[in-house]
Amino acid sequence: MAPLSIQGVRKSFGSVEVLNNIDIELEDGGFLVLLGPSGCGKSTLLAIVAGLEPSSGGDVVIGDRNVNNVHPKDRNIAMVFQSYALYPTMSVKRNIGFGLEMRKVPEAEREAGVRKAAKLLQIEHLLERKPGQLSGGQRQRVAMGRAIVRDPDLFLFDEPLSNLDAKLRVEMRTEIKRLHDRLGTTTVYVTHDQIEAMTLGTKVAVMKNGVIQQFADPQTIYERPANMFVAGFIGTPTMNFLEGTLEQAEGGLVLRHAGGSLGLGGIEQEVGSFVRKPVVAGIRPETFTAAAGSASTLSGKVDVVEPTGPDTMVILDVGGQMMTARLGSRDRPRLGDPMTLGIDMRAVNLFDPQSGNRI
Amino acid sequence: MAQTRSGSKLIWDIAAYAVLILLAFICIFPILWTLLTSVKVEEDIVTREMVYLPTRFTFEWYVRLWNQSGYPALVINSLITTSVTVLICLLTGTIASYAFARFHFPGRTQLMLGYLVVRMFPAVLMIIPLFVVMQQVGLLDSSVGLAVAYTSFLLPLFVWMLKGFFDAAPKELESAARIDGSTRIGAMLGIVIPIARNGLVATCLFVAIAAWNEYLFALMLTTSQGSRTWPVGLQLMVGEFQLPWGMLAAGGMISILPVVVLFAIVQRVMVAGITTGAVKG
Repeated sequence: MAPLSIQGVRKSFGSVEVLNNIDIELEDGGFLVLLGPSGCGKSTLLAIVAGLEPSSGGDVVIGDRNVNNVHPKDRNIAMVFQSYALYPTMSVKRNIGFGLEMRKVPEAEREAGVRKAAKLLQIEHLLERKPGQLSGGQRQRVAMGRAIVRDPDLFLFDEPLSNLDAKLRVEMRTEIKRLHDRLGTTTVYVTHDQIEAMTLGTKVAVMKNGVIQQFADPQTIYERPANMFVAGFIGTPTMNFLEGTLEQAEGGLVLRHAGGSLGLGGIEQEVGSFVRKPVVAGIRPETFTAAAGSASTLSGKVDVVEPTGPDTMVILDVGGQMMTARLGSRDRPRLGDPMTLGIDMRAVNLFDPQSGNRI
Repeated sequence: MAQTRSGSKLIWDIAAYAVLILLAFICIFPILWTLLTSVKVEEDIVTREMVYLPTRFTFEWYVRLWNQSGYPALVINSLITTSVTVLICLLTGTIASYAFARFHFPGRTQLMLGYLVVRMFPAVLMIIPLFVVMQQVGLLDSSVGLAVAYTSFLLPLFVWMLKGFFDAAPKELESAARIDGSTRIGAMLGIVIPIARNGLVATCLFVAIAAWNEYLFALMLTTSQGSRTWPVGLQLMVGEFQLPWGMLAAGGMISILPVVVLFAIVQRVMVAGITTGAVKG
């Protein structure tokens, strides 16, 4: 186990800059999730941490050791790849023990290590098989076995669950969390799945175009997104953006929008300097309540009703802007009916539409 | 309507079979004719009227070829030249094709194209400079010299073919091996080559067959019995007033034997190797 420090790391391929001045500090035993859409540079950053890709600048420090010029095999890291990357010509046992074999660990010790890892991952019965004879989930477990058997300073996961079906993905996600809780090894995990990021990470770095948009704990990222990209990327259904102008009314600040006005009483942001300027209110679907008794309300016409079982998603047309509300399963408004929804303003975020940043 | 469709399908099937049988006949007939000639007696070979099947079987031509013409030495020379060619290609070409498949270095594309350009020139253009070079370095009329000459045009084929197989091997495997403790060359030898072994066998076989059958370079670069290969030796048996058809046919049959045996042994591996390289997975 060791803390990880990424200091001003840059990477460019010719004139194309894929990573721009990345700074991340991860505590010993922490679980960092690099989250972002395809092509945002998260896998490149992971490859730089692993030593598989040289950086164009900056430092990677594992523990108290600058590993910029250290070969991947000497970084004491272990990596799980999206494609599992199991050696097809070797048995599961040899796959798991390959790292120890390369490090000249005595056979008896190696055998014990492999058995222990296999027991932890419940794959003892597969040890003599070849990777080609395993299912996707089993291969994933073997790949994880290969990583944990070495007891490394750092675990690196590169979208490890992407190739699994939905059910198995949930199971393996839980497995990874359990393993991290048990082993306490510092982990860097790359994904584009926000649910994985929210459930696994102690810290999440949301990336876009090679730049970290926000680096914080999952709760902060969800509740107080740094900008509209993060706000829109995290959460399903995505956050609603209500465009309007901030105005000072008799009862306090209001947001004038195409469908009326929204009282901003209770909002936890200092927005005085934006009076008479356009702003965007970011409202999560679960912030809406069907009871209209709230101080702040939005009125519109019911456009779509989507019952999902535990919830009912209602899409409301508010002066031409579509707002998705997550309501209780018993709330079933009729299409075309007018509807007024209450809003918990403490959970609402205001953004500057020009920069996209949270005010 | 359905009947018409099945009728036209039948006609197409017959046409397809006819073309395939014709092609197979064109391919197989010369080999079959050589085989028959090699077991015919002289009277059945040189005749006024065509004798298709031997009236009497004989292995006399094989015995005479082996005992009287120095043919065993030709076969051994060919074996040495072919082995050395494959060895040089294997040692240098494997590393070169791995580098082309994995590293992006300045001039990589140009170098790859350069390898192709070598193959675009007719062989005669290369023979004279090669002859001069071999003479200068004292490798003229030697099996090693001939193998080096073969390498000059077979190595590009080897590198291009093998690169396809290396491209098909997932890069993550090497990354995993490097993290697990291998060096780059260790990952190549321990992980990538075992995966690409079918391709490697297929590529080596192509090179071996090309070197085994080569005639023009061998004719120009060898002058003595000590280094001459079987295609040249066989051709030299044709004299001004003598055309030993039976011996030529027997020589031909013996010469294609190693190729046929090799193909038979590694046929599956080769087909698997060729398709793996072609369809990048």
